[in-house]
Amino acid sequence: MDLEREGGRGANQLRPIDCSRNVLSRAHGSASCSHGETRVLAAVYGPKAGTKKNENPEKACIEVIWKPKSGQIGKPEKEFEMILKRTLQNICLLNVHPNTTTSIIVQVVHDDGSLLPCAIHAACAALIDAGIPLKYLAVSISCCLTESGKILLDPNKLEEQKTKAFVCLAFPSSVHSVLTEGSINGIITSLTHGVMAGLCLFFNTVDDYFQCVEQGRAAITPLSNILKKKLQSQSAE
Amino acid sequence: MEPKPSTTPSSFTDQQVFPGDVVLDLSKMANQTIKLGGGLRQDGDVISVMKAGKLRFSKPNKYWVESSNKRYVPSAGDNVLGIVVDAKADNFLVDIKGPTLAFLPVLAFEGGTRRNIPKFEMGTLLYVRVVKANTGMNPELSCMDASGKAAEYGPLKEGFMFESSTGLSRTLLSSPTCPVLETLGKKLAFEIAVGLNGRVWVNAASPSIVVLVANTIMKTESLSPVQQKIKVESLMQRMR
Repeated sequence: MDLEREGGRGANQLRPIDCSRNVLSRAHGSASCSHGETRVLAAVYGPKAGTKKNENPEKACIEVIWKPKSGQIGKPEKEFEMILKRTLQNICLLNVHPNTTTSIIVQVVHDDGSLLPCAIHAACAALIDAGIPLKYLAVSISCCLTESGKILLDPNKLEEQKTKAFVCLAFPSSVHSVLTEGSINGIITSLTHGVMAGLCLFFNTVDDYFQCVEQGRAAITPLSNILKKKLQSQSAE
Repeated sequence: MEPKPSTTPSSFTDQQVFPGDVVLDLSKMANQTIKLGGGLRQDGDVISVMKAGKLRFSKPNKYWVESSNKRYVPSAGDNVLGIVVDAKADNFLVDIKGPTLAFLPVLAFEGGTRRNIPKFEMGTLLYVRVVKANTGMNPELSCMDASGKAAEYGPLKEGFMFESSTGLSRTLLSSPTCPVLETLGKKLAFEIAVGLNGRVWVNAASPSIVVLVANTIMKTESLSPVQQKIKVESLMQRMR
């Protein structure tokens, strides 16, 4: 049985993405990003002098604080903080301002599925708004795997809860280049959840994962263009 | 949109670039010296972008990315407005809205000796010049120009200081005079000090003029030159 998606979305269709910069007047950089109903607000403070005790003083330090929509801060928030921190450490240039700390605070406004990709986009846009030096931007996509083996991109909350497996991937964004050779390849972050049970043989599960990666990769260029267009139209003012 | 497969960097000049964009391929431009300003870095054989902004080029060989942020990246030769945070034996610690605090040596004043060290309290606003700004080190400031004269540097007394973006500071300091300051200056008398780190100080005989000038500058940040003139005229009409 094929899953009928809400709003008649195809399996490969993403929800409308909106991104705006400079939404908070006191933060050094801020951005708000929404994927359909999911909305996340990110604020960046820094670079500020000094690093934490266990961090390398030769590099800049990145600190992430994740604030859920409601409830106390617990283990799931700490996990999101760690994932975001590792992702952002990959895209930031850490030796431009050694011995400084950049704080990124992520506030979940509404969670309707695909929360981590939305947070990654909001954090990247906030870093751009603050002028923190970056190697490249990150684009992120989440997909879930139904029982019939179909891959759905950008699931909402209901779809995430119904399906058995969930993958979230972050890639370096596509760039405009004067070089004619290929651009950056690779995956920055991959988060999987659940069981990908193939119908018969064991190696079907790994194939499903790689198919998710391929679909995600195919979505990099359109996603990058959308995000850049949203960010561009504001900075031109 | 397909990126233009051209090797000339002119395809990116004056265009919006994002981090990761590769704008120059050094292997195709042999025997040339290129100066890189802010926002660009060398990554092996290519020059790629670190910050989002407009790519600018000035002859003969300087490239940089122009962006407007709330924070300042210290660079030598800039005039900035700093606030004194602490006073140590050898230097004052001054906040210039950068990644680290800056040091202002106690003797960096015209005719400064160990006997006449100025007493700056915490919170004093200073107009200073950035002498050195190297990565990993705190920037060094001075209240003298390159030839050792005082030249308007030093504490700014009275008046009102407000913070905005580095882009607005550059617009206010551009030559020919920016339309806002020109139109305001025709009717009102005030003094203004603009720091490249996004801080602006205004002083005038009466507080209402100070408030008018400050609000006008803040409101007209995102308008085009023609709109700025119109807005300034209308604000000044309301004051009469």
